Amino acid sequence: MLPIQIDYKRCNGCGICEKNCPGDLIYSDEKTGLPYIKYPDECWFCGACRIDCPKNCLDIKFPLTSL
Amino acid sequence: MHSEHFIQTDVLVVGGGSAGTMAALEAKKQGVDVVLVDKAGIYRSGCGAAGNDHFLSVLETGPDWDTPEVFLKWYQRLTQGLVDTKIAENTFLKRSKQLTVELEEMGIPMKEGEDGGYIRTRSFAQPGDYFINFDGRALKPKISKIAESAGVKFITNVAVVDLLTNQGKVVGAVGFHIRTGEFYIFQAKAVVLATGNATRMYENPSGLPFNAWHSPYNTGSAQAMALRAGAEVKNPEFVNYTITPKNFSASALNAVVGMGGYLVNAKGERYVFKYHEKGEQGPRWAMPWGTYWEEVEGRGPCYFDLRHLSDSAKKHLIEHLLPVDKNTFMDYCEQKGIDPGTDLMEVQISEGQHPAFLGSVSGIFVDEHCRTTVPGLYAGGACAVGIGSLAGSMCFGQAAGAEAGAYAQGTEMSELVQPQVDELRELTYAPMSSRGDFNYTEAENKLRQIMSDYVSISRNEEGLAAGLSELKALKKLFGQIKAENGHDLMRTHELRDLLLISKAITTGALDRKESRFGLSHYRRDFPETKEEWHKSTHLSLKDGVLNIRYVEPYN
Repeated sequence: MLPIQIDYKRCNGCGICEKNCPGDLIYSDEKTGLPYIKYPDECWFCGACRIDCPKNCLDIKFPLTSL
Repeated sequence: MHSEHFIQTDVLVVGGGSAGTMAALEAKKQGVDVVLVDKAGIYRSGCGAAGNDHFLSVLETGPDWDTPEVFLKWYQRLTQGLVDTKIAENTFLKRSKQLTVELEEMGIPMKEGEDGGYIRTRSFAQPGDYFINFDGRALKPKISKIAESAGVKFITNVAVVDLLTNQGKVVGAVGFHIRTGEFYIFQAKAVVLATGNATRMYENPSGLPFNAWHSPYNTGSAQAMALRAGAEVKNPEFVNYTITPKNFSASALNAVVGMGGYLVNAKGERYVFKYHEKGEQGPRWAMPWGTYWEEVEGRGPCYFDLRHLSDSAKKHLIEHLLPVDKNTFMDYCEQKGIDPGTDLMEVQISEGQHPAFLGSVSGIFVDEHCRTTVPGLYAGGACAVGIGSLAGSMCFGQAAGAEAGAYAQGTEMSELVQPQVDELRELTYAPMSSRGDFNYTEAENKLRQIMSDYVSISRNEEGLAAGLSELKALKKLFGQIKAENGHDLMRTHELRDLLLISKAITTGALDRKESRFGLSHYRRDFPETKEEWHKSTHLSLKDGVLNIRYVEPYN
């Protein structure tokens, strides 16, 4: 389970989440230009990716051991 | 061969969080060229990346407690004289009132009261309501934009590895781009370090090392670079703990106790009074200390209890404080299936980390002008010992930037020492050509195991000595970590810094034969606080060896 879930139906590939992530964990797919979580184990659950998302298409999903 | 960038500037600020951004902006106001470099982006970087809810400020509104004098007296008591209060006086108290007004002018909602005034609360044994409850979700992007518009040159995604020196002076730094691997050489008249505190050295209760109280991307690089450049680090043995929600190391304690929330044990008893006369209104260290003993003696688990609060207090806490400080707080509650207003919320003692809050006494040693012991090197914010919290860090950074800017104006640019640059270039990329087969995660897990087993809450002579020898063994394995790309290289250099900080913690802890500040330094073999140890540890690094000198407390 990824800590950051992206709704690709709504995502416009603007890149703000990638730019915002303080751990540089989000990359853009070279072909589609859409973001993906490259280093899910290094997430701080800070929400910086979601806070400025213009399409509101990010969800934070806590791993079971962090609940 | 990686391509190279050479950047010359008057002032280089390393770390683009709240302190570093303020330092860069303030240095720029002195009329000098300023470069701000961060390994992440800058608009959402540092501990305040996604927001903050409390802004410490002395506003001089009339009551005695709202004056610099009363604040300073309290701060002196809180830090037991181990911090020079002249720093708080010169950086924070000269700026906090003005900064409050400036933030308001920037459009940050500071006055959230129904009457249009400030909402101010107190916590952690403060003599007055110094914490403005505000909505700081837009703070970091706003100040970043102002700094960039003022002409500060932003360099993002570049991790700084080490400082450059020439004849005992700091003259620049080197780093690399965390995606492309390109090499960066900076030449500067003055450098301000502001990379925050140090995390990820201790196992996280959830088993997820990046699920940290403060930003897990803060890895003590300023402290490590300062040591390697000849500066001193103060009181590293005091590792800090707080109380966080179970399995989620989010900030919450300040908001909860500030609103009058309780801590209760499994029997429903408020237990903090047993350990400090002020109970939940006592200093922060009293709460992890008390929780530790409740659990050890079989009265855990422990909980936040907010059920007695008024509906308006609950609403303020749940809508305005918790999700502003930690943007995902209510997601956690929802996914865990708890309502903080009606349910008890289980808590835990957080993982240990090098401090970043008000009252911490550990970090780079600076004077009241934010100068380290090395000419040309300044520090501010949570990486240095001065004054903590978001507002403290912003003011501290602002002061460091002003001082560095003024120094740069009266200084000539010094030459870089080419062999030093070449040596550091080689060191930077060594993990890319390593023939070893460890990855950074394996080595970092080993570090956490050592620190948690031997240098955490319950310390003794033999354990600390064992920890030190394990750290030395891990240091020898460092060359066998293989980095495949820029990201791996960043994490590997973070580990290099964390190893040095861990060694500093262990060295200080082994020598200090007493206990002080609750769990921060609790020696089972010397459980009492001793007057002869009422002094500060100052560590410096020479030829790979950490040397200690002790400095008497400030009165």
